[in-house]
Parts: sequence; C-alpha cells; structure tokens
Amino acid sequence: MSDENGMDREEIKRDDPMLAAEFSLGLLEGQELLAARGKLASDPDFAWRKDWWDNWFAPWTDEISGAEPSAKVWDEIEARVRAASTHAETGLDSANVVELQSKVRRWQWVSGLTSAAAVAALALVVLPAGTDSVPTPGASEAPQIAAANPLVAQVPIGDTGLRLDVTYIPDSERMLVGAIGLTADGVHDHELWLVPADGTPLQSLGVVTPGEVRSVTLPKEITQNMGDGAELVLTREPIGGKPEAQDAGPVVAQGAFNQV
Amino acid sequence: MADGPTPASAEAREALKAAMARLAEGDRSALEDIYRATRVKLFGICLRILGDRKEAEDALQDVYVNLWQRADRYDPTRASPISWLATFARNRAIDRLRTGKVRGGAVPVEEAAPLPDQAQLADSLMVDAEQTAQIHTCIEGLDENARGHIRAAFFDGKTYAELAEHADVPLGTMKSWIRRGLQRLRACLEASE
Repeated sequence: MSDENGMDREEIKRDDPMLAAEFSLGLLEGQELLAARGKLASDPDFAWRKDWWDNWFAPWTDEISGAEPSAKVWDEIEARVRAASTHAETGLDSANVVELQSKVRRWQWVSGLTSAAAVAALALVVLPAGTDSVPTPGASEAPQIAAANPLVAQVPIGDTGLRLDVTYIPDSERMLVGAIGLTADGVHDHELWLVPADGTPLQSLGVVTPGEVRSVTLPKEITQNMGDGAELVLTREPIGGKPEAQDAGPVVAQGAFNQV
Repeated sequence: MADGPTPASAEAREALKAAMARLAEGDRSALEDIYRATRVKLFGICLRILGDRKEAEDALQDVYVNLWQRADRYDPTRASPISWLATFARNRAIDRLRTGKVRGGAVPVEEAAPLPDQAQLADSLMVDAEQTAQIHTCIEGLDENARGHIRAAFFDGKTYAELAEHADVPLGTMKSWIRRGLQRLRACLEASE
C-alpha cells in the first residue's frame, strides 16, 4: 500500500495544528511520532496546540465504561513509589537531596512545565568522537546546596514516559543525576552529555545509573560550561558508555538547564 | 480501596485539584487520594485501549507511578486534573500498544463507539459536560466516514496504517479522509470558543 494515492483530489494541508491533532489522537508511528515528540519539546505553539486537542478529545473518555482494577494494583504502585523514595533517601545525603527535590518541585509547580525545556531538534545531534574527561561518580561527600539556587534539567526519555532529573549547584562541582524509575536492560548504558553553548564538542557527564539518584563530581572544564539554558543530551551506548574512538550512540533524549 | 462511587461533583473536582497540588509538593499521601478518585475511570481507559486486563493493570500502575515521579508536569492553567489524567492514561496505554508488547485494539472498529453505560459513568469522574456537548456537536457535523475513523483512532488507539488496513483502502486515502475530518473539526471547535 503506497502512501499518497492518486484517489485523493482534495489535498489537505498538513499544517502544525493538523500534525498536533494526529499526534493527540495517536495516529502517528515511527519517525513521524519521534519527530512530533521532538517538536513538542522544542515548539511552544505546537505544544499549546497539542494540549488544545487533548482538552477537546478528553471528554470522549467519559463514554468509556469505567472498570475496577484488582486490589493488587494499588499495592504494587505503593511498593514502587516507596522503593523509589527510599532509594533517593538512602542515596548519598538524604536530607539535602530531599530538600532539593522538594524545592525543585515547588518551583516547577509555580513556573509551569513546558517552559522548563528549551530543546533542539531531535535525534539529529552528531556527537564528536573521543571526548575525554569523564567525571567520576562520588557518592561519599554530601552536596553543598545551601549557597545558590540550583540549575535543574528534566530529560524525558523517549517513549518510556520516564525522565532524568539533573540538578547542578552553581559554582560547585556537584551534580545530581536522578534516574528513578529507569531500569537497566542489560545490553545498553545511557550516557549523559553537556552541549556547550559555544559550539565546542560535547562533554560527557558520565553513564547514568538506572533507578538511583547519584552525585557526580565535575571537573572545571565542564562546570565552566554549566549555566541557565545549557543543553543536555542522552545517548544509548554499549555497557560502560561510549567506547573510545567511536562515535556516540543515538540520542534518545534531551533537555536543558533552568535556574530554580 | 473499595470505596463507594465517586460523584462527578464540584467537590470531587476540587478535592482532586487539591490532591494534585499536594502531590506536586511531594506529598506521597496525595497519590492514594488521587488513585481512589480516578482509578475506575483511568482503568476503563487503559482497558479499552489495550483490550487485556493484565496489560491494562500494568499500564495503570505505570500511570500512577509516573504521576508520582512527574507530578510537576501537570499545569493547572491548561487542563482540569481529570481531563489531564485521562489524557495521560490514554497516552500511556497507547505507548504500550506501540511498543509492540500488546496485540491491542481487541475491540473491532464497528464497536468503537458503544453507548455509555450510565451505571458505570456515575462511578467515575466526568471530564466536562460543556466540552463534551461541543465535541459531540462538532463530530456529528462530519461525514460518517471521517467520524468513524477519528473515533476509532481515539477509542482503540489505531494508527493510520491500521485504520487503512482495516477499511481496506490505501493509506493515502485514509489519511485524507481523516485530515479532512480533522480540519472541519478544528474549524467547528474554534468557532465555539
């Protein structure tokens, strides 16, 4: 079955509002779906229009009969939420992490969400080979978060509905990478990269540890590029991260820092 | 969890709104309140899209765990909580369909628009009566072909390709039927705003 078939006399213009409708209904798949997701993150008008359609279609769900899930569903939700929270709290410096997370949440609540992501074109970023200065995860020291308002970035992970939460304390060498809810597939690791604003090569922020909030110590060459609006990308790599002298794997997610 | 029906009342909506705000503040107990108030509706949506109880329960779990992790994503200025949650649940169910783990779309297209079961409806939080009326008016204005396929996309999570295959027409034909419908739908909805 070929795509555009000669049967159609009346060509319908597929403008952005149309694409948003198709996206909202769930008609898209493959590359088109990916492209729409990228657009959602980078184009506020498109995001607005997607919400517009969602809001109009949502009343249709009232026509769907409700149903009672079995009682174990809540038990499992509760267990997963508790496990995630405990993980975060036992990570490195529980009080600070929790306080910081709560501060970040409050800020996100107040500021609205879409503003949090200034994101470039999806899946088109070509990473340079041979990026060194991989930072070392350091779980021993407590992050100092009292001094300045942190920079936060949310990096939604492809079609999983999950995201990374990255928090950096300005003028420090401390960064928190939260990957709660992510699980390892046993075949890949995910590596986080900073995209310096000056166009210089991407800098590795290390391999993400699924299911944990990790504290990472960054070298000065990296911290000097950290700032409001600094972009992040996440790539899929072999276990252990990007091999030396090879191109990085595909970009699976991206986001940008915003000052809290 | 075996609470009675959740009335589609203003109080219920306000309570849900408050619980969403608490959740965004990191209050874990808010999640249980939200679950109690919305599980019946959201599970119905997952079940409808996925057509399989086990899959739908897994999807439902993901919905609430994700909600906990990403409560900040909800913007009260853009949508009512129940509207947003219903959309969120439907999207999660469709994501699950698209990952290929599920066969999905167990309900044939012909049955895509069953009459609502009034008894069941009373048990779940409704989205918005006024908006419901308007979308109905506008969708009724479309020709039967476009209407049927747009609804099948919504209720069964069908892609263009699946709809075309089912209707046994070329993909391009299906796209132009639906796009023509969406164009009219948009004009009608915008005129009502």
